Amino acid sequence: MFEKSLYDLIRGLRNHKGNEKEYIQNCLKECRSEIRSPDMDLKATALLKLIYLEMNGHDMSWASFHVLEVMSSQKYHQKRVGYLGAVQSFRPDTDVLMMATNLLKKDLASSHPTTITLPIAALPHLVTPSLALSLLGDLVPRLTHSHASIKKKTVVTLYRLALVYPEALRAAWPKIKERLMDKDEDPSVTAAIVNVVCELGWRRPQDFLPLAPRLFELLVDGGNNWMAIKLIKLFATLTPLEPRLVRKLLPPLTNLIKTTPAMSLLYECINGIIQGGILGDGEDFSAREEVASLCVSKLRGMVSINSDPNLKYVALLAFNRIVTTHPMLVAEQEDVILECIDSEDISIRIKALDLVQGMVSSDNLLSIVSRLMRQLKASSSALAQQQNGLDGQDLDDSSDDGSGRRAKSPEQAAPLPDDYTIDVIGRILGMCSQSNYANVIDFDWYIDVLTQLVRIAPPPRTRLDSDSLSSSKPAVDISEKIVNELRNVAVKVKAVRPAAVRAAEVIVSRLNTETVSSRPVVSGALKPLAWVVGEFAFQLSSPDDTLRNMLGLVPRVDYPEVLATCLQSIPKLFAHVAGDDQALWTPERKSSLSLLMARVIHVLEPLAQHPYLEVQERAVEFIELLKLTAEAASGQAPSTDEVQQDAPLLLTQAIPSLFTGWELNSVAPGAQYNVPIPSGLDLDEPIHPNLGSLLAQADSLMLPTQGDDEFEVYYNQRPAPTSISSGPAIERLVDAPEEVSSSYQQAGEESYLDADIVARRKAERRERNKDDPFYIPDVSSSQTGTSTPIHNILQKENGPDLDIDAIPIMSLDLEKLSVSGPSRQQQHQPRQPRQKIVIEADETLGGSGGNSGISTPGGRPGYDSENNSDSFNLTKSKKPKQKSLLQFNSSVLGGLSLTDEQQPDDGFAHERQQKEEAEMAQAMKEVQRLRLEMQRANERIQVAQGVPVEGIVVAKKKKKKVVKTAEDTGEGAAVVVKKKKKKADTGEGKEGEGVAKKKKKKAPRVVKIDDDEGEAVGSQ
Amino acid sequence: MINAFLVFNGQGQPRLTKFYTQLETSIQQRLISEIFTLVSNRAPGSCNFLPLPPLLAASGTSSSSSSATEQNDVPSLVTYRHYATLYFIVISTSTESPLALIDLIQVYVEALDRLFENVCELDLIFNFETLHATLGEMIVGGVVIETNMERIVAGVRAQGAVAKRPVNEGSRGGGGAGLGAMAAAGFQGMGGNFVWHGR
Repeated sequence: MFEKSLYDLIRGLRNHKGNEKEYIQNCLKECRSEIRSPDMDLKATALLKLIYLEMNGHDMSWASFHVLEVMSSQKYHQKRVGYLGAVQSFRPDTDVLMMATNLLKKDLASSHPTTITLPIAALPHLVTPSLALSLLGDLVPRLTHSHASIKKKTVVTLYRLALVYPEALRAAWPKIKERLMDKDEDPSVTAAIVNVVCELGWRRPQDFLPLAPRLFELLVDGGNNWMAIKLIKLFATLTPLEPRLVRKLLPPLTNLIKTTPAMSLLYECINGIIQGGILGDGEDFSAREEVASLCVSKLRGMVSINSDPNLKYVALLAFNRIVTTHPMLVAEQEDVILECIDSEDISIRIKALDLVQGMVSSDNLLSIVSRLMRQLKASSSALAQQQNGLDGQDLDDSSDDGSGRRAKSPEQAAPLPDDYTIDVIGRILGMCSQSNYANVIDFDWYIDVLTQLVRIAPPPRTRLDSDSLSSSKPAVDISEKIVNELRNVAVKVKAVRPAAVRAAEVIVSRLNTETVSSRPVVSGALKPLAWVVGEFAFQLSSPDDTLRNMLGLVPRVDYPEVLATCLQSIPKLFAHVAGDDQALWTPERKSSLSLLMARVIHVLEPLAQHPYLEVQERAVEFIELLKLTAEAASGQAPSTDEVQQDAPLLLTQAIPSLFTGWELNSVAPGAQYNVPIPSGLDLDEPIHPNLGSLLAQADSLMLPTQGDDEFEVYYNQRPAPTSISSGPAIERLVDAPEEVSSSYQQAGEESYLDADIVARRKAERRERNKDDPFYIPDVSSSQTGTSTPIHNILQKENGPDLDIDAIPIMSLDLEKLSVSGPSRQQQHQPRQPRQKIVIEADETLGGSGGNSGISTPGGRPGYDSENNSDSFNLTKSKKPKQKSLLQFNSSVLGGLSLTDEQQPDDGFAHERQQKEEAEMAQAMKEVQRLRLEMQRANERIQVAQGVPVEGIVVAKKKKKKVVKTAEDTGEGAAVVVKKKKKKADTGEGKEGEGVAKKKKKKAPRVVKIDDDEGEAVGSQ
Repeated sequence: MINAFLVFNGQGQPRLTKFYTQLETSIQQRLISEIFTLVSNRAPGSCNFLPLPPLLAASGTSSSSSSATEQNDVPSLVTYRHYATLYFIVISTSTESPLALIDLIQVYVEALDRLFENVCELDLIFNFETLHATLGEMIVGGVVIETNMERIVAGVRAQGAVAKRPVNEGSRGGGGAGLGAMAAAGFQGMGGNFVWHGR
């Protein structure tokens, strides 16, 4: 049989381009058989091949036992392969590790330094608490091995051991410290120890203060830049605890800053000075002042435009750290930092964004957001161009590299990755909604930004596991967040509610017309949209069209939660459209309304069988209601010329009254917690004494599957006609000529808002200023019809043929118009701040003060809107934190003190544990012995009775006996059990206390309903 | 600490993967491909740091709210360098110095260049054991233990002779462009900013 070496495998891979999969499967099969062979050479080669394939993503966890076999080989080069296999393929759940302990012990005691290195280097990847416990004794002596390379590797391995088994450090620390203090120690061992100490340092800085003199010595005459960096990082965590260190550190650090040629060391010096709080105020003022200005100027130099991108990045990193402690220092650098937002490099952009988010104010919000919007717009249009392929002249021009490079328009920007786009949108929303919209001055602008964002937002990721139509929603749907903001504005800012509602209307109609009618609607944006258009239907410009759009969208909605909200909004819209009790009950009205009702019922009917109960219930309710109304309407004869008939009361009174009532206000996220539990309520009491059986009954009921339903729809029902919406006028303005100069107050908003939005803004501005005699309208717009009253009158009087501009009412011509641009801007400017807008705060109940900082009424600074990250973080941090990928867990070290020299009772737990283990082993031996005796006795009895020895019987008896004996043997075991019990007891006691306290807290809370609703949050 | 050290080529094929915490093979591959997408979309002249890949970012941002000390355990920095046909990636926590990591990669590549004499991708493909050995002389368990070139090279040689690439392969392979030359050039290129003295 021919066997492949790794070399053959790789060559084979290279020669099988195209059908690699098949080739690899064959190789894996070969490896499977080869690795079972008794020939160690063959085994090791097979393992090496498996490791190579593992690197390319082919699981080899099945081979873990064979890895152990190769590890135990006598030959070094095979052993090495075995250890490599263990490092690369062992996972926390690999169970053969238990068997490796002795092998590792043996290799650690080997006489060949290279062999000793193998287990030392592999242990950080494999270590478990029990393994750490049993190997600690073998590892610590290696700290004094004659080879420096073994010493330094051992130091690190001991540290990794301590991460899973903290007691290891207590045993090893004195030895490690000894190495560190030894001035004749090999410099690379010292450097490795410093690295480890640096990792330990930030966990328990107080334990390392005594080492400061030696560390300082190393910093001054170490002569090793790598080590110096780590030392500075370490000192940065020590100085807050020992302010006297600052005075000692400043001279060498300033010296380093001034002299070092290594940029990384320079950067870390600056970083260390800032982070260590050395910049702060203190007694030695002049020296610090000098250092502070030195550092900040160096950092500023790093960020500035022409510097190395790496320096830019790290300087921003440094600023990000400073900003929490010295926000003023960072704010001074706002100009250069803002420049970084537009950097071509996404890494730099993101870091700059992190910074900027903390720096927004009402002054710079507009400029920051417009910068970001411009980026997003450019990228989305670039994306659109890519997708459209080669249509249109513009694209041909831009793909021609010569002209494309010369024209430095933002349209040439490469499309940004979706994750980044989503991130940026999230940040924009966060910045704007911060502190209950304290920074937003112009809400009309904000609504337009939101409208634009909805268009830019990348579509939600298609669900990969779309096997069911269940309620699995994509985790992040940014467009839903955007429209949530729109809803928040509509609810909270009454002054712009009409504008917000109209924006929602436009988005709905776009959603309906622009998505393919056969495809399901996946945008989560529809949910808040549906709520807004339903709740504020009276402010829609065209409720009929919106209702039609909603009806067109509903059958295509995929997510049940969205569907439920849409279902609620349709009757609201219908009530508004149909429920006018002033209008006459004419034959036309009667027929059109019955048609409309039939249409609504037709759309809702399939949903009455929806698997999602909420949807089903709402659909059934509204269908029945509408059917009743339809009957009533058809029974009511229309009014004729003689007889005046009223519309059916059900239509004009009953249905609208369902939805009118108190206005809905936003409620603070924590308000629910502040509602006291009524005294008579026992939450533990079951709602129904027989709930269990009721639920069981419900389970056995078969719900009609959706499949049948779709089948029926497909064959027997007409598809819902997709409305050819006439759309609001704004939509038609898309193609309107754009000759107007762009010198309005938001200079360059065209660069990030779509043409139609810009056109609407202009139209609105014209509208606002039509009575302003100083406002000079555009000539081009005067021809489109909306213009000053004078024009209207003239047009009415004289007819459209007349050329109005020919009449010398105002002797102005086009040139003058364009000249007057800037002055117009000046006039307009002061309007903005004067705009006084009331932003309502979330409602909540009183007494929320201590309650986890959840929002308080009145829009105080602590307030955060729903989408704001801070409030999210608050709730998140309360949850048990999920361990992140690749994360080291060093939290166990936090509880370990190194300076407290071992107390006799709880020190050296590992020794104690060893003792216990020995006792355990003894007990086990005893058990074994007893078991054997029993078995023998058993056999004797059976033989005596003439019963054949049956395996099963014996086995059963054995088990019983073992349990019994284990219970009443060795004291050691008993002690262990007792201890565990004790621990459990105390734990429970604490828990009980906690519960009691919580209850106490809740009970006597006084209910006080704050009447802060409508408190003005003036935006001056 | 260093969470992972990766090497892959311009097509995203891994040449070395070393994770200092245990991780499922499938997740390893996902992480590699995410980083590859990030790295292959870098504009020329960008910095050597990547934004966090989605797999890491999801967990990274959520914990950024928690205490600053917790943050030191979470991978927050992805440093990369590009030599000829290969990308070298280091994923690390915030306790590492970003600029020093750039140099660490440089040291690694130079050490490989010493060991293989004008190293190229093919050497690395066929001798991935040596790649691991070299890395093992520099980083153990996520902590840097050696940055001195002589000692690293000596440490690897002590473990046995370093194999040369098969003679007939060098001329045929597409990925044979000299990495070593790039390493030297790279050092000069960055030299303006990253000069090490007393290493």
